[in-house]
Amino acid sequence: MRRAGLRTRVTAGFAAGALALSTGMAVVSYQLIRRSLLVERESAAVRAAYYDATIVRAGLATGQPDIVDVLRTLDTGDKRRAVLYRDGGWYARNADVGVTTAVPNGLMRLVERGIPGIQRVRFDGRPAVVVGVPLSDSTAFYEVDSLRELDHTLRVLAIVLAIVAGTTIAAGAGLGSYAARYVLRPLMSVAAAAENIASGNLAARLDPAVEPDLARLTSSFNDMVDQLFERLERDRRFAADVSHELRSPLQTFAAAISVLTRRQDCLDSRTATAVGLIAQEADRFQVLVNDLLELARSDQPASREPVDVADLARQVCRSRGLAAELVKLEEPVEPTWHVDQYRIRQILGNLLDNAIRYGGGPTAVRLAQRAAVHIIEVDDEGPGVDPQDQKTIFDRFVRGRAAGSRGGGNGTGLGLALVAQYAVAHGGRALVEDRPGGGARFRVELPRIPS
Amino acid sequence: MAGVLVIEDDDRIRLSLILALEDEGYEARGAATAEDGLAAQHKDPASVVLVDLMLPGVDGFDCIRELRREGDVPIVVVSARDDTHDIVAALEAGADDYLVKPVAVKELSARLRALRRRARMTTPAVATLVFGDLEIQPEAGEIRLDGRPVAVTRTEFRLLCELAQHPGQVLSRQQLLKRVWEYDFGDERLVDVHVGRLRQKIEEDSGKPRRLITVRGMGYKLQR
Repeated sequence: MRRAGLRTRVTAGFAAGALALSTGMAVVSYQLIRRSLLVERESAAVRAAYYDATIVRAGLATGQPDIVDVLRTLDTGDKRRAVLYRDGGWYARNADVGVTTAVPNGLMRLVERGIPGIQRVRFDGRPAVVVGVPLSDSTAFYEVDSLRELDHTLRVLAIVLAIVAGTTIAAGAGLGSYAARYVLRPLMSVAAAAENIASGNLAARLDPAVEPDLARLTSSFNDMVDQLFERLERDRRFAADVSHELRSPLQTFAAAISVLTRRQDCLDSRTATAVGLIAQEADRFQVLVNDLLELARSDQPASREPVDVADLARQVCRSRGLAAELVKLEEPVEPTWHVDQYRIRQILGNLLDNAIRYGGGPTAVRLAQRAAVHIIEVDDEGPGVDPQDQKTIFDRFVRGRAAGSRGGGNGTGLGLALVAQYAVAHGGRALVEDRPGGGARFRVELPRIPS
Repeated sequence: MAGVLVIEDDDRIRLSLILALEDEGYEARGAATAEDGLAAQHKDPASVVLVDLMLPGVDGFDCIRELRREGDVPIVVVSARDDTHDIVAALEAGADDYLVKPVAVKELSARLRALRRRARMTTPAVATLVFGDLEIQPEAGEIRLDGRPVAVTRTEFRLLCELAQHPGQVLSRQQLLKRVWEYDFGDERLVDVHVGRLRQKIEEDSGKPRRLITVRGMGYKLQR
């Protein structure tokens, strides 16, 4: 799995911190508030029960009391329900008859032994507290006090705390994201400038005034770009000078050799042979100079445009005296590719020249499309490429193992290196494999750019 | 009309080119500077001029411009510089073709033959072609825009005629190279630069052409 970006990680870290902190705070405060409210509420219930118990005891002290009447004299409001247990029977006001079921057995046993008690229960699906007060050996007074309001309060409190916690987490994440962006912003501008330079705009520089903290980074970055620029410029000038200085004498060679070869018949055989050697070597030298200059320039970014590649491939075949029918389209193939026309022409030309020179001539030029790549394949019927050489054959001045058979050839050993460079300039690659049925298959893969 | 004028400052290249061209059947003479070349061309015009770009004093680009101002003699640049920038600049100055040194004598000779053939060839006898306010008279060799004559070079005129004979039809750069320059294979920048120069003459806004349209990935067409 890919590691998440720095920004994502900082944001997640802040959010996690906020989560731990806010939920911790919320849980602790909820528990504290709940406990203190409960304690307060229970002591209020106990106080009220004792007060009511005193009234009931006083009422029972009269001769033959009507217990229900006595209970009726209590001012309990609608939250407290009072019941009396006497001699194995329950007494309650009419409205409170069902309340006796709320009194738990455990509490009753406690109160029967003369110990007052309090217990939290659920009654009618609502929380309540039951206070039991022994009045005599056979009489116990119970009061069921509804905790409905407290429950409601706690519920609201829980919701409020949850919302606060959620907001805190979101705020934490937001803060993290902001902080990360703030801290990363200068790096982003470095990245943007680097991208800008990589795409060929050498005028891109960083403004050292924007981020004083990063002055060292910006100044060294700018120095680096300046040096890169100077070096590129020097290389370009050097290539142009070399190009001029080498090509000018080659022009004299070409013209003078043409004058000589035209008169070959008038020369004695030794002179004619010598002239022929010079002519061949001049040709080879010319190709070498061109290839070297191409190689020097091949790292420049590809200038893409829509190209009818099938048409281009047929042209290149014809220019080598080959049948245009060699070009085969493997369906489905897009008619136009977004590629650097000049370089694709060079790729095709160099692969064909390679097949002619070392592979007994090309048997097919295939254009295809697989997944996200355009494919150019050139098959030949030569001896194929030794597996040991398949990796190095695209290196400069490498001509494979069968070099012995090429003593008279005029290859420069740069053609395939150029093919690889041109493929790389497109973000692609060049490779060679064995053709099923013998011979070599050179393949160039170029990433597709949608139009 | 003399044969080929070679304007080249490198003595050895100039001498060898003259020898080789004479072998190919051309009457050739040389000039070491643009000034000498222009004077020679003025006195006794050659039918084709070969120009090097790096010349002492007046450089090749100015030399081409000066030659172009005086007439529509075919101009071929033979230069060691192969920067797109230089090629386009030379063609824009008015050159008809651009060859990078070292050029094989056979190749040079083929180009010169094509140029001469084109220069001699009368354009096809077709009646006036009309594209809105653009009028092309192949026989008279004239172009009129809105009734006013437009001055174009021979190559530009042939390019426009070729496109005009296929109204609305897209011609690829290679087709144009073959039909206008008569090259089986050539540098497509030749076509692009000539189209650009032609646009400056027949379009109101050459950046937004209405008549001579580029069809991306295919070529050019002349809109009716």
